[in-house]
Formats: sequence, structure tokens, C-alpha cells
Amino acid sequence: MNRVKKFFKYDNVGIFFVLPALLYMIIFVGYPIISNFILSFQDVTVKTLLSDVKEFVGLRNYIELFKQDNILTTSLWNTLIFTVACLVFQFIIGFALAVFFNKKFAISKPIRGLLMMPWMIPITVTGLIFKFMFGTDVGIINYFLKGLGLITENIDWLTNTATAMPAVIFANIWIGIPFNMILISTGLSTIPTELYESASIDGANKFQAFRKITLPLLRPTIESVLILGFIYTFKVYDLVYVMTSGGPVNSTQMLSTYSYKLSFEMFKYSKGAAVANILFVILFFVSLFYLKFTYSQEEA
Amino acid sequence: MGPEVSLSKRNNVLYCVIAILLLCILLFPLYWMFVTSIKTEKEIFQIPPTFWPEVLNLKSYAAQLKSGDFNMFQSFGNSLIISIGAMVIAVILAVPASYGIAKYHFKGRKSVVLVFLVTQMLPVSVLLTPLFIMFKNLHLYNTVWSAILADATIGIPFSVLILRNYFASIPKEMEEAAYIDGCNKFTAFMRVLIPIAKPGVIVCAIFSFLYAWGDLAYGMTFIIDQQKRPITAGIFNFMGQYGTKWSYLSAFAIVTIIPVALIFIFMQKYIITGMTSGAVKG
Amino acid sequence: MKRLLSILIAGIMMASLLIGCGSSGNETEATQPAASAETGESEKAVSAETSGGASGTVTIWYYWETAGHQEALNTIVQQFNDSQDEITVEAKYVPFADFKKQLSIGASADELPDLVILDNPDHAAYASMGIFADITDKFDVSTYYDGPVNSCTLDGKLYGVPFGSNCLLMFYNEDMLKEAGVEVPTTWDELLETAQACTKDNVSGFAHCALQNEEGTFNFLTYVWSTGATSYEINSEGGIKALAMVKDLVDSGAMTKAAINWTQGDTMNQFISGNLAMMINGTWQVPTMREEAPDLNWNVAPIPMDMQQASGLGGENYAVISGGNEEGAIEFLKFATSEETCLYMMETMGYISSNSVIAEGQFEDDAIYQAFVEEMQYAYARGPLAEWPDVSDAISLAFNEVITGASEPEAAAEKAQTTIDSIVGQ
Repeated sequence: MNRVKKFFKYDNVGIFFVLPALLYMIIFVGYPIISNFILSFQDVTVKTLLSDVKEFVGLRNYIELFKQDNILTTSLWNTLIFTVACLVFQFIIGFALAVFFNKKFAISKPIRGLLMMPWMIPITVTGLIFKFMFGTDVGIINYFLKGLGLITENIDWLTNTATAMPAVIFANIWIGIPFNMILISTGLSTIPTELYESASIDGANKFQAFRKITLPLLRPTIESVLILGFIYTFKVYDLVYVMTSGGPVNSTQMLSTYSYKLSFEMFKYSKGAAVANILFVILFFVSLFYLKFTYSQEEA
Repeated sequence: MGPEVSLSKRNNVLYCVIAILLLCILLFPLYWMFVTSIKTEKEIFQIPPTFWPEVLNLKSYAAQLKSGDFNMFQSFGNSLIISIGAMVIAVILAVPASYGIAKYHFKGRKSVVLVFLVTQMLPVSVLLTPLFIMFKNLHLYNTVWSAILADATIGIPFSVLILRNYFASIPKEMEEAAYIDGCNKFTAFMRVLIPIAKPGVIVCAIFSFLYAWGDLAYGMTFIIDQQKRPITAGIFNFMGQYGTKWSYLSAFAIVTIIPVALIFIFMQKYIITGMTSGAVKG
Repeated sequence: MKRLLSILIAGIMMASLLIGCGSSGNETEATQPAASAETGESEKAVSAETSGGASGTVTIWYYWETAGHQEALNTIVQQFNDSQDEITVEAKYVPFADFKKQLSIGASADELPDLVILDNPDHAAYASMGIFADITDKFDVSTYYDGPVNSCTLDGKLYGVPFGSNCLLMFYNEDMLKEAGVEVPTTWDELLETAQACTKDNVSGFAHCALQNEEGTFNFLTYVWSTGATSYEINSEGGIKALAMVKDLVDSGAMTKAAINWTQGDTMNQFISGNLAMMINGTWQVPTMREEAPDLNWNVAPIPMDMQQASGLGGENYAVISGGNEEGAIEFLKFATSEETCLYMMETMGYISSNSVIAEGQFEDDAIYQAFVEEMQYAYARGPLAEWPDVSDAISLAFNEVITGASEPEAAAEKAQTTIDSIVGQ
């Protein structure tokens, strides 16, 4: 016990391990975050971009966005729905695959490796593949659905406001499965096998073992996967931009695509910055919640 | 899950069959893209679609090599340099950082984790202008360094947070054994922990590499010379004002993936062994 | 906590140092005579080609991604470089999707080229940003068509030179129309009938780019202009009629809804693949179509009209960046707009010269191109207006809503008009 106490006295050494990475991120990302913040409180458009004096307008951009801009509310909803739907499916499927491939059968390892592919492809390319596959007349998905007898008419996936979102979600799930699978696999591999052995000796069946051993021990992994998944999915950009550009009629407009559109297509730089900040703030609170949750467990 | 007994032969075969089925379903889009890349443009739009081309068309691949200022080999080299650079930076910075967070309960630890999370919360489009200004002032604009530095910012926080769990799961006994042998904190880290954590480190190196490889925004914005741009930039050669040429585009996609897949296949044995053997033996 | 705070402050200070360091002395790279070996040291030697003083490097940004276009531009750049020693021109490709973004960022970071070739409806916005040089007295555009010149003009001053123009016509598949036993439509009603007659199996009778962006607006506005309304009068009899027409086309099955996702290029691809009987598309597609589908029997005709013949004016403009190597850029412009060079570019790219003197001599034996030249007189320009992107956005939203059935024409028109009024009213 004395050894352990002495061990923890020098805890602050940890700071030095962390410092280089921390500084790097603060410099390269912290500065943009702050300048973006400031930008959202000014009035910068195509006419004022190069002027020396940029009018400070406080919260006006935000107020205008929330009050008059129904595209903002649409984007907000879309992003939320998209993120939650993707996370749920990616996680469940990824988890199931991780468990399945954890069994030692002959080709489990190589096949699992190959399943990483969807995630390795540049997202812009994946977007184009699915755009092609979801095509109304030439898309292979409609062809399959018809073949299975599920539909009689071709569904106009990407041109129909009701089906564009499911299509984009589907594509993103495909991309995200390997990420979930591999991280959960890594987590599974850290669980010592003796625990299962002693559990089965004690008479526990597979489900009980899963609930009482696997899940609790996997908790940190699951939390990391979910929170990172949430952050990455919430700020989805490339995939949506390529597949639908936020359409049709804003049915797949996300906060990040809307921010880009405001800034770089309509020259409303401050508004674009404001939308990005809204995204940022939401993620910030989600992270706070996550931190409180994880660390309160650890300290207990 | 469940005890790791070896499966009966029958189960073994069953699992293999299911695994292959899963593979076919999940990777179908890739197969489809490959098939599209060797069809003629006309056949691509044919209905009903053909699952193997009636007419083989390899022109799309030939077109990948050179198109105006775009040179595939050069771009590929650029991507390699950028991705490896970003990967190296990410690993060097992130591994110690995640170790520090995992093992040392210093004051402000929570805030540090928060900072890493926060740095991932802005959409890329917003980071472009400030980073551009920064790189210009550092005279790195239009060099691969701007892309390397920018891409590392994607890999670092991700690696830190993922590796954290990995390090946390390494039992203290290992470290204490190192101290008994006379190591101080840093040497314990270098000599004992990194080798054990190697699989986790490799997984992160690969993720960082792939994130950088797939990056389009940074490579496009900070590098203006087409000869210096990464291979992802080549996408624009095949889509734009004049329509999306699916045969060329799918060939381009395959070309972009094949090298990465190759690298992955070779490293795979390394990763998978590492991941499944776990950090703790018995 | 305190430690963390000090780290944060240190980091931010470092970052601001890095930003601050270079920004004193706002000289763009281009004005510094190149230390590169390319520029001859013989600035003293007065060459017969350049007026005294113009020297250094000139960087051009352009967005043409077709290999042929890039080669054409590089060819004339090479010709110019070879013809004299003082100025070296370099052309850099920035993809179309990225172009506006790159210009915005470049303007913020003071890292702009010396010359840009950009889409004409965007010209006014950048001119209002103040990044273009006023070249009113340095260029003679008296023989140019009005439309293109207007797009480079802001407040009576000339901020650029038209590169080349193009316009829209209806393309039709002769075989398909013959098979369906129909004539080439000339009015909206005929268009509906003909298109429906040609629609069967997987072939659509008619389509055009209907993306929710500038390309889509460009195509849609031909309907509006045909009714006599302007692009700012969407909630007018003409505007609503145009929206209703598009709705009818889609609802009747004559036009495929998938066009919402088609660029003009995608539309052309559908046409040459035999999936489309008629389309609206532009001059610049002709070279590609001839190369990729030499056996297709197609022809062009004026876009079916409501009250008057109407087409859209497209094309690019050159613009000189203020504060860059203005003199060098202008020297290159003089070369590029000279008859021989201009004709070469126009012919290779399928454009019509914005200079009426040159345009009238183009395409003497080519009936298809001549039809386009003929159509130029009916071609309307978009804008010019600094806020055109906003207006365009409202318009493309309107017809997208109508096509997807999200709104009725009247409601969509009213909504668009509210937006347009708030923009134009400023």
C-alpha cells in the first residue's frame, strides 16, 4: 500500500506527457475556434470581408438565424436525426460483428481485416458510389428491391424529400460499421479469458456472462466509441455534400453543409461562422455530459 | 465473448460460411464500383444492369495516368508523403499524451480530455481560413507541410482518446515491475509500456494515416499547384461542369484504394494478432 | 486548473505570434519580381512586345477541369511566355466546386493570383468585394456584346474583360422524335406533348439540369425569360407560369425528376447514352458530344417558348486582381483577346467569342454552332448584381420545391419573391 501511495504522489508528471500534443492542438485548432467565434459576432459579408473595420453586432447573427431562418432549424433537426440513427445502427451492427469475429474460426482474422475496407475509402468517393447505387433508374438498389418484390416502382431516393435522408443515413452506416467493429474488438481483446472460464465454472450461461462481464468491462470502450462516433457523425460534411448537397429542398441539409453554403457560396461569412458555432456548442455540451458521466464512475 | 474454446469442425465451417456471406454483402458496393470501372460508359447506364461487363473497357484506367496537369503517380506520391508525415506526428504526440491521461490522475486531467474533444468539434470548413492565414505566414502555403500539419490535427485527438482505454487496461503490475528494475517514469514508458501497447499504437498509426489519406479539404485548400496535391484531388478531374464520368470516377476510386488495401493486407497480420492476443496474457 | 490555463494562454499567444509574424507588409508574392530563374534579368532590354514596365510573374486561376481546356489554356500561356522575356505566366487549376471558396479564403489571407477566369454571374460579387482592378481605360470593349460586358461592370466601371460566351438551346435526338412521329416543338404546349410522346421504358422525353444551385437557376430562368418576366420578378404572372410549366413537365412524366441531381454534364451524358430524347444544354457541350457520340443523330433548335424566344447567357470573364501584377496581367490579356488566340480558344472549347467582330466570323460552315451564335441575341444575362448568389439561391429553391411537390407554384413564387425583395431592396 505504501508503494502505491508513493506512486501517486508524482501524478503531476503526467502533464509533461500530455503537453506536446496539447500545445499542438491548441495552436492549430484553438486559434481557428476563437477566430471563428469572433467572426460570428461581426458583420462580415462579401462587401465587408476586406475592410479594416468589421462591425461588431453582438448576437444579431444568431438571433436572425433562429428567428427568421427556418433552414437553420431544419438543419438542426436533420443533423440530430441523422446522428442518432447512424449511431444506433452502426453500433449495433459493429458490435455484433465484433462479437462474431471474436470467435476463433479459420478465416476470422483475414475476413475481419477485409471488412475494414468501407472505412478506408475516401468519404467523397463513397458518397459517389452510393449516389450511383441510389440512382432512380440506373441504381442497383432499386433493381434489388424490385427483384425482391419489395417495390414495384423505382424509388427516387435522392430526389424525394422523404427518402433522401434514409439514403444518406444508409451510406453513413456502411462507412461507420468498421470503426465500431474494430474498436469494440480491441476492447473485447482486453478482457481476460479467465473471467469467462470462472464464470462458466460458476454456472453462468452465455447471456449472463455477456451482461455481467463483457458489458461492464467494455464500458470505457463503448463510451469512447459512442462519444467519438457522435462527434464525427454530427459534423458530417463530405458524404452529404457529394450525395445530395443538402437537398432536395434542404431535406438533408446539415449544420456543417449549411455553414459551408452560407460562407462560401453566399458570401455570408459571419452567418456561416455562427452556424458552425451552434454545432460546436451542441457538441461541447454533449462532451461535458460525457465527461461528467465517465469520470464520476472512475472516481467512485 | 464466451470461453475461447476451439470450435468443432462443423461449427468452424459454419462460421466460415457466414463470414464469407457477410463479407460479400458488406463489400458489395466495392465490387460494384470495380465492375463499373471496367464497363464502357454506355453499359454503365444500361438497364437492367450487368453484373459483369459484356464489353471490357480498360480505357478508364489508362485515363487515370495523366490528365492535363494531373499525374497519378505524382499525386500518389504526394498523398504518401502527406499521410506518413501526419501519421508520424500524430503517433509521436498522441501516444505519450494518451499514456499520461490514462495513468496519471493529475489535476486538470478532465479539462485536458475536454480540450482534445473540443478540438474535433468544428467542421473542417471553418478551420480553412484561419489555418490558411497561419500557414501563409509560416511560409508553408503551397507546400506539403501545410497538409501534413493540418491532417495531423485530425489524427491526434482521435488517437489520444482511443489509446487512452488501451493504456488504462494495462495493469499496474507491469509498470511496477519496471520500477523494481530501476526504471524511472520515462524509461518505464519507453521500454516496457510501448512494446506492450504496440498493437494499440499501430492501430492508431493506421487510423491517422487513413484519415490523412482520405482528406480532401486541407489538401485542396492549402496547396494550389496541381502537381503537389494529394491523390484525392484527382476526383475533380472526373466530375465537374462537364458531367460525372462514372467509368473514370470508379477507376479513380479503385486506384485510390488498391494501394491502401495492399498496405493494409501486409500490416494486417500484425494488427490482428496484436488486437486479439490482448494486453494481458493469462 | 491554473496550470492548464497558463498552457492555454501560452498556446494562444504562440498562435497569434505565428499569425502576426507575416502579416506586416501586405505584399502579395506576385509583385516581387521573381527570384526564379525563369524571369530573365533583361528587364532593361525593351522588347517590342511589351509596354515599358510590365514584368514579373503572372499567376492565373481557372476552373476548367476538362483536359482539353487545360491544354488549350496552357498552350496560349506557353505561346505568350515564349514570345517575350519580361513576363512569365503560370496557370493554376482550382476545381469549380472549390473556386469561390478559394477566392474568399485567398482574399482574407491576402493570397490571391494576378488574374482570374471566373463564371460571369459571380463577377459582380467579387468586384464589390474590392478585389478586382478597375481597368476602365485600359481596355477597349466597344465591339463586345452588351451582356458579357455588363457582367464585368459595376457602378459604371469596368472590372474585367469577357473571355467567351455561350448560351442554351434545346438539343433533340432526331431518331427518337421521328420514331415517335412528332415534330420539333416550338411552344410550351408542344414541348409537353412531344416530350410525353417520346417517353417510354427508360427513356425520358425531356430534361435539363435542375440542381438547387447556379447551374439549375441558369437553366430554369429560360422559362421565366420566355414569359417576359425578369429574373427578379418570380412572383409575377410570368414567374408563376414558369414554375407551373416545370411542375407540369415533371408531373406528366415528360421530364424525369432525377434531373434535380443532374449537372448539365450529367444531362448531356444521359442524352448521349440514349436515355433522353430532348434536353436544354449549352454550346460548350458540343465538342464533347461530337467526340463521344459521333454516331448519334442529334440537332439543336430554339428552346420552346411561351411569349418570346429566350436563352441564357453563360461564359467566363477575365478579371485582374487589384494589387497584383496588374500590368503583367493586362499584357497577357491583350494577347489572349487578340483575334488569333481568341479564335483558337473558342474553337477548342466550343465557345462563342464575346467580341462580336470575332464571333461573326466564327463557325462559318458549322450549322450547329451558327444556331448558337444566332441565339446570342436572345440570351439574357443573370444579374449583374453583387448579391446574385442569394437571388439565385431563392430561385433554385423555388423550382426545386415545385418539382418535388413540396410547394405549389404560387406559394413557392411568393416565398422566393420575399427573399429576393429583401436582397434587392438593400
